[in-house]
Amino acid sequence: MQISTRPQDLEPPVRLVKDVADRLRRHALWDSLAVIFPPVLALIYGAVTLYRAAMVNDSAFFFAVVIAAGGGLLGVVLRFRSRIPSLPSAARLIDQKSGAKDRFLTLATIDPAGYLPSIFARLRLETFDFVERIDLPRDFPLKLKRSRWWLFLGSILIATLIHFLLPLAGPMIHVVPVQQRIRQLANEMSQRTGLKGLAHQLRMLAAKLEDPNVPRENKQAMSEDIQKEIEKQQAKEEQKDNRDLLGQAASTLKGLEEQQSSEGQEQRTDQEKGGGGIQSNLPQDGQGEGKQSQGSGGEGKKDSNAQLSKATHQDKTAQGEPKEPGQDQNQKHQGDTKGNQPDQSQPGKNQDDQKTGKDQGGSREGAGKNQASDEPPQGTPPTERFYKAGEGKAGLKDPRYVTVQLPEDITAESRGEGMVAKGSKGNRVGAKVPVSNVPLPAQIPNSPTEKQQLPIEYRGIIR
Amino acid sequence: MEKGLVMEPEKFHETFLRLEAEVQKVIVGHNDVIRKVLIAFFAGGHVLLEGVPGLGKTLLVKSLSHALGMTFKRIQFTPDLMPSDIVGTEVLAESSGRREFQFKKGPIFAHVVLADEINRATPKTQSAVLEAMEEKQVTVFGESHVLESPFMVLATQNPIELEGTYPLPEAQLDRFFFKLLVGPPAPAELREILKRTTGTETGNATKVLPEDGGNLVNEMQQLLRQVMIAPPIEDYVVRLVHATQANDHNGAPSSPSVKQYIRFGSSPRGAQSLILGAKGNALVEGRVHVSYEDVEKVIFPALRHRIILNFQAEAENVAADQIVAEIVKQVTRN
Repeated sequence: MQISTRPQDLEPPVRLVKDVADRLRRHALWDSLAVIFPPVLALIYGAVTLYRAAMVNDSAFFFAVVIAAGGGLLGVVLRFRSRIPSLPSAARLIDQKSGAKDRFLTLATIDPAGYLPSIFARLRLETFDFVERIDLPRDFPLKLKRSRWWLFLGSILIATLIHFLLPLAGPMIHVVPVQQRIRQLANEMSQRTGLKGLAHQLRMLAAKLEDPNVPRENKQAMSEDIQKEIEKQQAKEEQKDNRDLLGQAASTLKGLEEQQSSEGQEQRTDQEKGGGGIQSNLPQDGQGEGKQSQGSGGEGKKDSNAQLSKATHQDKTAQGEPKEPGQDQNQKHQGDTKGNQPDQSQPGKNQDDQKTGKDQGGSREGAGKNQASDEPPQGTPPTERFYKAGEGKAGLKDPRYVTVQLPEDITAESRGEGMVAKGSKGNRVGAKVPVSNVPLPAQIPNSPTEKQQLPIEYRGIIR
Repeated sequence: MEKGLVMEPEKFHETFLRLEAEVQKVIVGHNDVIRKVLIAFFAGGHVLLEGVPGLGKTLLVKSLSHALGMTFKRIQFTPDLMPSDIVGTEVLAESSGRREFQFKKGPIFAHVVLADEINRATPKTQSAVLEAMEEKQVTVFGESHVLESPFMVLATQNPIELEGTYPLPEAQLDRFFFKLLVGPPAPAELREILKRTTGTETGNATKVLPEDGGNLVNEMQQLLRQVMIAPPIEDYVVRLVHATQANDHNGAPSSPSVKQYIRFGSSPRGAQSLILGAKGNALVEGRVHVSYEDVEKVIFPALRHRIILNFQAEAENVAADQIVAEIVKQVTRN
């Protein structure tokens, strides 16, 4: 039997092995891309979302993207290289598919120089017959494993979760401090023409934010001013980059404003919740009399006690010796009220005195209030401290009562003034709930009265 | 014919099948043994047949020699057998009125030698045969005498009568190309044996090869060595043989059973037997290249007598074939 050695008869087996190897190489590349790219893209999307939410700065975002992209490329290259099929492995696959009993493997790996040409040619001729049995698309299709599809879906799911949940979880995530962010924006603005003034202002704002001695109102006011400047600048800015930068600054300041207002609201809520049953008779920063001291704690109470002591002293000086307990309550009440009321014979002086006193007290009060507003009340509520053994919220032993004259509209009268205002005879409106023991003008006929339990704090002070 | 190509592969295939068929006329069953013996013959190797008495080992060898048309000698090994009884000796003879020593060739000087129950002879006598197997010559009184080509020794061993025997040392076992296990016949085969041997007609193998059978055998042996083997398959053979080593000095881990039961692994002769045997098997199947299946078909006869088991394997009755089977599972194709 003569063995053909024509070149055209010897090529197809070798060409088939190379074609299969190329095809498998492409499959390996697709597989590597399918494994690496979906999670990398999900990571990059997460970084973009964080950057847009101003949770990371520019350098961190850039670093993260570079690392993710570079790592992804490197991963693809390494994985692909480890899976590049060799000619022998491609030949073995062809042998398995065609039943060639390692003919393609021998043909692809053997060195013809070590064997007789006729034997080698015979092998090629035998292999030629098996070439027809191979159909590349049918026998070597691109099949992505099921795990790749799960990986792809998982990456989409993670990106979706990042997209929807990150804004909700934003406050819980540790973000770049506002001051630092403002400084970053200031640095960027200082490099752009037309924004250097704003950059300087932002730096000053950042410095003030870090200074604990600067009042919150100052910080807030400065922030609002800068915001307005930014809005003006944004309106007339032509360059898109500058507008974007101004937008970032505006959103940062807005976030700062919201943060400060929420802190302020929390402080006010704490102050309202704090303090005790003490009702100050002095106006507090325009909030009017009758407001309870806000978290006044010891200092406010001391001032109240001081006033009460002063009032008691006035009472004593006005009334002489202290009254016996068995005396008429009205007289006592009058004495009390007298003591607490200014002397009508010298309204101006009294007013001045009381005003001074109230101013002082107010200042003390204010200081106390400020301290109280800054510091939460410590210890047990004041009312409970005056309970004696066996007493409690259920009631007092041997409570004492006083008849009080109900004031008119106290709020409007007492705002900004140290004195009780007016009690105009014709316009007396009986308040349903007494809110303070503001001294009332004496001898108001037909004024409504009410019997009230003596506040526990005055027990032992007012007899 | 192309220069260098000693024979067409088809002729080899045809001749081989004819020889095989001729031997199968006399021997019932043992087709795999017959094929392996023929492969070993054309690979230039010797075969150790192990089986209980009465299975036709001697008849097989005789039939093979008849089919080949080659000289055949049988040596029955006994404990008192001397080396000179095998290789020959010099005897004083008179010729032309003169007395002189003449070398009298022993039974080893044949194309096919049956060394029956080789394990019954003393080691000294065994060594005489083994030297002839390896060197293809014998040395008597300092003079070397080349043996005829082709030369093949088929030795037999009885696995049950071990008392008073001299088991072949490992170094000498290694010289056998294949070790084939001859098992008892199946019922149908036994019926056929009885039919052939207890009737009036008894068959004998006839000569298949032509007159220049020696030259033909030599050409077939040369063609066998020209069969191609791919480097990955060669590497597979190397890894198989390397896997039999209990103490691997190259750092590659051995399987647990190899470490546990093997005292010494196969020598490089094992790899040679594997490759030549695989080439022979490929030619028998009409191919001019070796496949992984060819290697796996000849691995048991090639390695089972080259793996030296330790005492624990003998105590636990672990056979060498079990170890070889585990190695085949463990070593993967490239």
